[in-house]
Amino acid sequence: MASAQTRYASDIGMPRERMLFETVKGFYDSLGITRHDIGTFIFASNDFQDGRTISNVFADSPVGAYMKDETKVEADGSFAYLYGVMRILSGHYDTALIIAYGLGGSQFRPYLVMDYTMDPSFTRQVGIMNELVAAALQARAYMMKYGLTEEELAAVAAKGLRNAAANPVQLRGQANATASDVLKSRPLYSPLHEFHCYPPTDGCCVMLLASAKRARELTRKPIWVAGIGHDLDTYYLGEKDLAVSKSAQRAAAAAYKMAGLSDPAAEIGVAEISAPFAQQELILQEALGLFPEGSGSQVMGGGLSEIAGKLPVNPSGGALGAHAFCASGLQRIADAANQLRGEAGACQVKESKLAVAHGQDGFCAQQNMVTVLSS
Amino acid sequence: MAKEREILNSVVPLDFTYNYRVGIPLEKYILGLAEGKLLGVACPSCKKVVTPPRSICGICNEKLDEWVEVGPEGTVENWTIGHVRLEKGEAKDNDEPVLIGMIKLDGATSLMPGLIEGMRPEELAAGARVRAVFKAEPEGSVRDLDHFEPA
Repeated sequence: MASAQTRYASDIGMPRERMLFETVKGFYDSLGITRHDIGTFIFASNDFQDGRTISNVFADSPVGAYMKDETKVEADGSFAYLYGVMRILSGHYDTALIIAYGLGGSQFRPYLVMDYTMDPSFTRQVGIMNELVAAALQARAYMMKYGLTEEELAAVAAKGLRNAAANPVQLRGQANATASDVLKSRPLYSPLHEFHCYPPTDGCCVMLLASAKRARELTRKPIWVAGIGHDLDTYYLGEKDLAVSKSAQRAAAAAYKMAGLSDPAAEIGVAEISAPFAQQELILQEALGLFPEGSGSQVMGGGLSEIAGKLPVNPSGGALGAHAFCASGLQRIADAANQLRGEAGACQVKESKLAVAHGQDGFCAQQNMVTVLSS
Repeated sequence: MAKEREILNSVVPLDFTYNYRVGIPLEKYILGLAEGKLLGVACPSCKKVVTPPRSICGICNEKLDEWVEVGPEGTVENWTIGHVRLEKGEAKDNDEPVLIGMIKLDGATSLMPGLIEGMRPEELAAGARVRAVFKAEPEGSVRDLDHFEPA
């Protein structure tokens, strides 16, 4: 696989079509291919955010999908990746181009998209619940269950901001961010402050998936999909323990089984996890078996998930640096692949042969996709 | 000549409404609120009791059709203090913090979000006992359960 990303922004300052054209055309040029080398085009976009039914209609032309096989996933880009992998495995396609984009920074109010995923007859009518409330309850659930302090939760966000500062595509970063900086940011819903939460973001991420034969023709440094898993939890927040993610556990177990991993925490060298809210990094790194359950305090206290730590998590800065709706999960997979290639710049971790990447959708990560990549 | 911002952006409002059938379980729940009753349903398979009631247990793939009266008192299991509110997706500062609890009504196994009034933010904690307060003049809406107060 290979990938390209925009430089994420709060306002990309151009129409969606130009953003897609420049990113995708530039990507083709970098690989020395044209649109005719693409077997199937798969979009990940959101009709509600775009304010258009079938939001990909005018996005087809800029990526070169006319007179081609093209479909869309109305979900995070990691699910388009899952679908693309299946299309390659079907044997019908040698290449699949995944195009994931979102304009939650400038085009539309970000939290409104998630508001409209809620049940319209009860939750939306009562008017108490929203994406931030759900995330705040999830953070509190983890803190209560495992004794995580507000400073330790803020340390997760500070790590994200520091890593994002070293990553030139990220929208929000701060080189020397501390927990105290996070706790001084705007209070939203306790215990969450602005810096615990993703910044509204514009941007896109594109990725080329190819069969083994075609991948070897296209690059001398192919990255392989070693395993993949996908699972869906209940929608109802009041009926599950928000401090854990059973569906991410199940998705990870499926991915590790496919990849033949018996001790993922020891075998995996780097993780990129979709965590648009700070506490989700802890909950999901535990669900993915990278650290023991309830270990947030120890991991943050010991710097175990830092770039130079025992098992770096989100060295890219993750979704706290940029979270273009739909592009976000694909960005994690692309960043994990760049790590394995040794092309992660100032975010580069020590050499590693195996990475895990994760994407999600829904309140409190209702739906999860986990993939193992190998170099 | 129009202002630069008007030329650079086309601002497109969408103005229409959707009509959703609430379905029998929620209809019964709303009618119950008018009588000061909180209704839930139990799953015959996993025995969970959920409110607001709905028709299906997704995990068991069974119909939820055993009616149970729950509350009106319950226990706060989780909470958040809203320093902001979202108005059409935009975070606006609150003049006074808003207390939101996830409440396990007596007799239910699920948690329900509710506004909590008559309590200071520092008093809000897991284990706090609260009681449902219904609208004096019911409107036939899920908002007829107005808020919770200390029990």
